[in-house]
Amino acid sequence: MAVERLFKDEATEEKGDRARMASFIGAMAIADLVKTTLGPKGMDKILQSTGRGRNITVTNDGATILKSLHIDNPAAKVLVDISKVQDDEVGDGTTSVVVLAGELLREAEKLVNTKIHPMTIIAGYRMAVECARNALLENAMDNKQDSEKFRSDLMKIAMTTLSSKILSQDKEYFAKLAVDAVLRLKGSTNLESIQILKKAGGSLKDSFLDEGFILDKKIGIGQPKRIENAKILVANTAMDTDKVKIFGARVRVDSMSKVAEIEAAEKQKMREKVQKIIAHGINCFVNRQLIYNFPEELFADAGILAIEHADFDGIERLGLVTGGEIASTFDNPESVKLGHCKLIEEIMIGEDRLIHFSGVEMGQACTIVLRGASAHVLDEAERSLHDALCVLSQTVNDSRVLLGGGWPEMIMAKEVDDLARKTPGKKSHAIEAFSRALQAIPTIIADNAGLDSAELISQLRAEHHKEKSNAGIDVISGGVGDMEKLGISESFKVKQAVLLSATEAAEMILRVDEIITCAPRRREDRM
Amino acid sequence: MAAVVSAPPSSSKTETYTDTKRRDDVRRANILAARAVADAVRTSLGPKGMDKMISSASGDVIITNDGATILNKMEVLQPAAKMLVDLSRSQDSAAGDGTTSVVVLAGCLLRHSLSLLSAGIHPTAVADSLHRLSVRAVEILHSMAVPVDLSDRETLIKSAATALNSKVVSQYSSLLAPLAVDAVLTVVDPSHPDLVDLHDIKIVKKLGGTVDDTEFVKGLVFDKKASHAAGGPTRVENAKIAVIQFQISPPKTDIEQSVIVSDYTQMDRILREERNYILSMVKKIKATGCNVLLIQKSILRDAVTDLSLHYLAKAKILVVKDVERDEIEFITKTLNCLPIANIEHFREDKLGFADCVEETSVGDGKIVKITGIKDMGRTATVLVRGSNQLVIDEAERSLHDALCVVRCLVNKRFLIAGGGAPEIEMSRQLGAWAKELQGMESYCIKEFAEALEVIPYTLAENAGLNPISIVTELRNRHAQGEINTGINVRKGQITNILEENVVQPLLVSTSAITLATECVRMILKIDDIVTVR
Repeated sequence: MAVERLFKDEATEEKGDRARMASFIGAMAIADLVKTTLGPKGMDKILQSTGRGRNITVTNDGATILKSLHIDNPAAKVLVDISKVQDDEVGDGTTSVVVLAGELLREAEKLVNTKIHPMTIIAGYRMAVECARNALLENAMDNKQDSEKFRSDLMKIAMTTLSSKILSQDKEYFAKLAVDAVLRLKGSTNLESIQILKKAGGSLKDSFLDEGFILDKKIGIGQPKRIENAKILVANTAMDTDKVKIFGARVRVDSMSKVAEIEAAEKQKMREKVQKIIAHGINCFVNRQLIYNFPEELFADAGILAIEHADFDGIERLGLVTGGEIASTFDNPESVKLGHCKLIEEIMIGEDRLIHFSGVEMGQACTIVLRGASAHVLDEAERSLHDALCVLSQTVNDSRVLLGGGWPEMIMAKEVDDLARKTPGKKSHAIEAFSRALQAIPTIIADNAGLDSAELISQLRAEHHKEKSNAGIDVISGGVGDMEKLGISESFKVKQAVLLSATEAAEMILRVDEIITCAPRRREDRM
Repeated sequence: MAAVVSAPPSSSKTETYTDTKRRDDVRRANILAARAVADAVRTSLGPKGMDKMISSASGDVIITNDGATILNKMEVLQPAAKMLVDLSRSQDSAAGDGTTSVVVLAGCLLRHSLSLLSAGIHPTAVADSLHRLSVRAVEILHSMAVPVDLSDRETLIKSAATALNSKVVSQYSSLLAPLAVDAVLTVVDPSHPDLVDLHDIKIVKKLGGTVDDTEFVKGLVFDKKASHAAGGPTRVENAKIAVIQFQISPPKTDIEQSVIVSDYTQMDRILREERNYILSMVKKIKATGCNVLLIQKSILRDAVTDLSLHYLAKAKILVVKDVERDEIEFITKTLNCLPIANIEHFREDKLGFADCVEETSVGDGKIVKITGIKDMGRTATVLVRGSNQLVIDEAERSLHDALCVVRCLVNKRFLIAGGGAPEIEMSRQLGAWAKELQGMESYCIKEFAEALEVIPYTLAENAGLNPISIVTELRNRHAQGEINTGINVRKGQITNILEENVVQPLLVSTSAITLATECVRMILKIDDIVTVR
């Protein structure tokens, strides 16, 4: 007797082994895709958009690659999500997390093939992850007390993060830039106040850090180009005549002079508005919307610097850094909070003139001006720098530091291996598999660098069998090296997040034994 | 792809092998595409380089020799090729000249890296040595450079002339080069001596005449005729100029309005009112002594009407209408006046003064020229002429290159020899340096050092000389310590290029080499093309 159909026409259902297989393959395919970007010798990808303009992006950032992919496989989507979360939470390790999850699933697949129940694998993984985390905790170093050392830690972390990116050649320069910027923040993780401005031209080395805020706009005609001790009113208001917003509203008059009167009245309203604004006692007015010729002239007459058409992001940031509030009505000057800064002046970067606000209220605010050969370089540099900034700002809060170059993975693998030996029962297979998955990360780093991974990993493992080893992969010389001496460090928080979220994702995918794809919603006109 | 049942990571030989193959394919395809782009512009390098005719999708035809322009119009699709197009654009914005060289250089570096890659060297190793090479190359260029003084007008003109030599308008280089130098030197602000904003130089194109008639105007030129009704002035001396942002036409409100006329007498009254309204405006303007009006374009209403023109003509006021809003800043800066947005604010202190404003006819049209401006701002205007649109456009591009060259010299006051001399010298010194290095790096740098010879090679080839004998001879001479020997394309032989006055700014060479290596490194590091949304 046939079972009646449960689902709609185009809905599909995959069960048991097939479902598990589908999700394993999907997840592994994603992991394999980004695998080659891992490590200092990782490669970049071109992302070619199929949309209009066929824009291309060149990137090495796992999160960026995954974010823009077309993905149909549900398990693959889970991996994309964890990479996104990693990006939001800690900013770096977006590739590692996907690769680790992929490797965990690869190992799990083998175990499932040997008839071990997924739940047993999950239990084993859970034990392993706990153990690995403890290993990390034990081996993390904390130099919070010693500010000198802490700074050098930050430098190392920034350099390690940047070494896998486009900025690798000038990593010292950019690491210093990023550390300076983050230390200005004094512990807050609010990266909003670090503005990254991209200007094509020059080379990456010409990038610089500037205190204060830079707005990519022009100063109105005939207005002062330089203001000291500026009082800034940031506003979002329409500066043209107030229109009656009822459709079809119109005035009927019977003579030309009345039209002229109305026009004069409109002008008068504008003038009143401008006077109200001036009454705030300001000398700089920044508006998100257009300031038309007439108000512009009035401002110029009053010696006020007026900037029109600043973008949304621009004024919000400006409001933030100068301590002002965005105003849209001007009736009570007392209630409007003005922004302040020491100096506003026009500067020139490349071929463009920009407005520079320095000595702003919010001392931590700064601007990083990136220069580079082309838009691709700039975009990628921005992403890299953003990663570094994220990691650093996290590290400032949680100052625990680990060594890099596959060192944490090896430490964890060793502890997990020990645990496997102590654990009776089938779970021990899963724990062993976990350790193998951890070792896959240094393997991939070595592979990407074109090194003999099998040889290196075995050397590394032998090295780690001794107590307190600092051994890791030295990609530059192509051997096993002392990570502490080479100054390769990673943030504890990033590693921990990679470990935990990769395991969680793998666990979630492992649990799946049925995939139901709903029938796509019909669209009337298209297709 | 990932369906391969994975072996333990330690023995994943087979899997890595297949993967690598695909990656190599992608890299190879990228390199080939980028090289194809480089080959397309190769023949336009140098003073005897050829031009390209590009017919765009809309049917326009452009003839040019400017690398950046050619590439911009090519509309390539392949991602790596696109990166080369961007490369030439960045060179354009960084230095303004050398847009072809940078692409040719990148193409040749790519060709050599391909052979390095097929020798089994890891792409990142190649990329890293390229970076070291570029740093070293810049040092070499610096050591070759000759400092230049801005007051030395002759030298500036020489370098501008070198930039112009490869263009269609090369026969006019003796005219355009000094012009470019004068224009840039006019806009240099003494308080910021190393900053030049090329926006302060306006290039006005006007058809007719020949390039010979191109002139540098100390003042303003409008590519418009003066709007005048019968009897209006076309020439005003001792002009008092107002830049206005309002219109001299019947009032119009922002809110929708309609005038209701119920009988004939009312209509008469309205006409009269309109006349009075305009007349009173004109009177106010006249009262300040203003005799030239520049009116900003408005999309909402006419700048002037026949009626207002009539009154203005009677008041002997010259009117130029439809000035773009973007230009207002330039104009006010030049005239040292303030824009006036409302008739109420029309005061004498906002006016600018000039000795003479006149409408002259050139070619098929008329232009308005303002000269002898009192307290003129630091701006310059160049009026470019030419017998047809194509020549004018090309002349403008060439002039832009020349301006950029002079600007580069203002920014970074060093000159370097042209004619392939710096490239050969870099190639020689880097080759020697490579021998001191060890391992992979030495090998890569040796290869790239050879790649640099592409510039003199192509120069010679385009000039119809025997490239091999020229390049070997050059190498020989440089080895003997004559570091300024280069190809003299005019004479078809090798000479001391500094003595021949073929010089270019250091910035052009350094930015070409850094940008080209940066771009090549990026292309090398790519191992996959992913299609995304």
